[in-house]
Amino acid sequence: MTMTGQTSNWLIRVSAAGLIAMTAIIGWQVFGRFVLGSSPSWTEQASLVLMIWYVFLAAAAGVHEGFHIRIELLETMSSPRNARRVRIAIQMFVAAFGLVLLVFGSQLVWLVRDHVIPSLGISRGLAYLPLPISGLLMAVFALAQAKADRPPAAAEDR
Amino acid sequence: MEILVLFVVLFLLLALGVPVGFSLLGASLALFALIDIPMVVAIQRMASGISVFTLMAIPFFIFAGDLMYRSGIADRLVRVADAAFGKVQGGLGPVNVGASMMFGAVSGSAIASASAIGSTMVPLMKEKGYPADYAVNVTVTAAIVGLLIPPSHNMIIYSAASGMGVSIGDLFLAGIMPGLLTGLMLMTTAWLVARRRNLPRGIFPGWRAFMRAALYAVPGLMTAVIIMGGILSGIFTPTESSAIAVIYTALVGTFVYRSLGWRGFGEAAAKSVRTASMVLFIIAAATAFGFALALLEVPAQLAALIGFMTDNPILTLLIINLMLLALGTFMDMAPLIVICTPIFLPVAIGAGVDPVHFGIILMLNLGIGLVTPPVGSVLFVGSAVGKVAIPALVRTIWPFYCTLLAALVLITYVPWLSLALLGAF
Amino acid sequence: ADTHPTDYPTVQAVDYLGQLLAERTGGRLGAKVYAGGQLGNERDTLEITTFGGLDLNRVNAAPLNSIEPLTIPICLPFVFGSVDHMRRTLDGDVGEEILASLTRHGLIGLCYYDSGARSFYNSRGPIQSPEDMKGLKLRVPGSDLYIGMVRALGADPVPMPLDEVYQSLAQGVIDGAENNWPSLESGRHYEAAPFYSLTEHLFTPEVLVMSKISWDKLSPEDKQVMRRSAKDSVPYMRNLWDAREASSREVILAAGVEVNTVDPAPFTELMTGMWDEFLTTPQQHDLVERILAQRES
Ligand code: NA
Ligand code: NA
Repeated sequence: MTMTGQTSNWLIRVSAAGLIAMTAIIGWQVFGRFVLGSSPSWTEQASLVLMIWYVFLAAAAGVHEGFHIRIELLETMSSPRNARRVRIAIQMFVAAFGLVLLVFGSQLVWLVRDHVIPSLGISRGLAYLPLPISGLLMAVFALAQAKADRPPAAAEDR
Repeated sequence: MEILVLFVVLFLLLALGVPVGFSLLGASLALFALIDIPMVVAIQRMASGISVFTLMAIPFFIFAGDLMYRSGIADRLVRVADAAFGKVQGGLGPVNVGASMMFGAVSGSAIASASAIGSTMVPLMKEKGYPADYAVNVTVTAAIVGLLIPPSHNMIIYSAASGMGVSIGDLFLAGIMPGLLTGLMLMTTAWLVARRRNLPRGIFPGWRAFMRAALYAVPGLMTAVIIMGGILSGIFTPTESSAIAVIYTALVGTFVYRSLGWRGFGEAAAKSVRTASMVLFIIAAATAFGFALALLEVPAQLAALIGFMTDNPILTLLIINLMLLALGTFMDMAPLIVICTPIFLPVAIGAGVDPVHFGIILMLNLGIGLVTPPVGSVLFVGSAVGKVAIPALVRTIWPFYCTLLAALVLITYVPWLSLALLGAF
Repeated sequence: ADTHPTDYPTVQAVDYLGQLLAERTGGRLGAKVYAGGQLGNERDTLEITTFGGLDLNRVNAAPLNSIEPLTIPICLPFVFGSVDHMRRTLDGDVGEEILASLTRHGLIGLCYYDSGARSFYNSRGPIQSPEDMKGLKLRVPGSDLYIGMVRALGADPVPMPLDEVYQSLAQGVIDGAENNWPSLESGRHYEAAPFYSLTEHLFTPEVLVMSKISWDKLSPEDKQVMRRSAKDSVPYMRNLWDAREASSREVILAAGVEVNTVDPAPFTELMTGMWDEFLTTPQQHDLVERILAQRES
């Protein structure tokens, strides 16, 4: 398997673990309120931060796997040669937007570094950190896809 | 001028085939560059757009839906419906609708419903001599019913997008009767189409077999009791209920039906996180886009435009419905809820529509968009599980479209259907 | 940006500020208000303001706590004794010092608006003393300060978004919550929680901030006009607020809600430990002492 493929698989595994952890946290919140009689105060913010992380990591893997939903009309109507050009253009746009996420996501993390997330006491920047990371991965994945010319989306098995 | 840039960039990117989330982001970035707003704001809107407690219901309900399929709950619901309706001509059509309604009552996601019931029903129908296009058409349109029958993660998105505290519990109650009505109408259509196309009939297995099938389905159907009961009795909030649905389904699949192991659990999580991240990435980008819309005061301008065209509430609702249907053909439901609610809800309220009732109209209207090309995620799922190309599906789907449109008209102009149950609890 | 609907006093005050600016600068400056939270919640719009994406922003002081610790003292429970005490303090040097502390975070603090007094309401019975609060499940916004306060008073804090409160009250997930008169009225929470006990525990004000990036683009004269107009919008806002509060009070009393006054002394006593938890610097302690010194004797 290619290096990008391995990275993408690994991202999905980490994200799936994030989803399972979020289930456990909210389960614990209900349990805490009804069985222990006191509401844990950290659960809401912790699961929100977790969700931003795993959504953006899995969304990056989605650029490699091509699961992001899109309109394929132009590509299917074009000749094979032009379809290839269309696919490359799409991947270039995705790579460009990935770089925007990287650059301005980094700026975002930096600007809010001394804001505090209530009830967790950690920097707000940690909640935004997955955006630049995801942007970088998206750009790399999109460029690799353009080079290998794999179709960017296969609408199956969602 | 600025509005033009925003929409032209969006349409060009979408038409080229750039994924929807990236197209929304690109259009917002173009606008921000034009009116000199720092790019970092767009990125912040994306992150905080999904940093919303109620949106957690999306991954949870998608996860629960996939677990229900893997643990055999979908399969058992199909058997109950088969025992009940299988003997009429083309009976597997109405069976499919019935199974989708039951599955809709336990799962919060139309995509999960289409893939779970579709994976079970479509092979079964093909085996019994039904054409694949019919099987898929019934599956995908019946999955829309699950949007109306509670729970429904799209109602949760609507409640969050309304920004005015439309109660999720009220929305859930309001969806019940419209959901049942739409389901019954689809069943009738499925039966009529089956008669016209002379599709096979099954045999009634007898009351004993029916009771047996029903008994096996009880632990699965209990999910509905736990979710609705838990919300209505105040044990947990709607968002929490979606997490409880995951935990309950995992427990039932592991200890009652004994068909779900660690492997299946992990695979379900991996599959759900893909779907959920696809949906939430679009919602994130739609939030940046929505910020651009709000800055340009598009909602107010559109409201003024509709107000200029008519001040008749019936016509206003018709115009809103037509606009939403048009948008729904080429965009998916979740981002449309996020973008359209702030635009159309104030107009609808101005025309005297209850915000809860409007939510139900929105669900069915945008739900129809899920099964229309060129962009319809439920249609895509159906095409994938049934292995039928989209053009072949669309050729024979029109009786079902007509049924859904008729249901939309009824639900739009008979508010009682949505609001009658609200006083009951 | 403002999260409140268009007829809310804070929104009208900023509209008024916009008119003042337009008059005084011959239309060079003005304000376009995006009300109803359409641009995002307060934390989000605050961040956007520091980035220069919005020029002006009206927020509650509480979300500023996670940006600037010096805003904590005016958000402490039972630190103010009355509306007059709060207004006097904020109009004086304490208020100015706190506004000035925002500059290093990219925000220019312009003025304070009122948010009235917050008190507890619940479905069980009137609260006279802290003993009446034992075991009550009370909704709080997801903020450490509120959670700490409710715990210190002996009740169980349940962090919950505002839009889930009505249903949670009606179905008994929670026993009560706390808010000011207008919010209690507009949310119709009193229908499910008919006991309103005037603990007046929080007077947390609203703050009008400007983006430092936008501020630096103004000429010195315009900066002057900006500051003066903001200050001039305060009395206008306070009159609107008082009228709004009075009309809400009328509606709530007419609905048959049982309202009782409360002696704050036994509540205030329970706060010392909690205050110390949130006051970590000598500068914060100094502000609190100066606030308390301005109480009526
Ligand atoms: Na449902
Ligand atoms: Na569509």
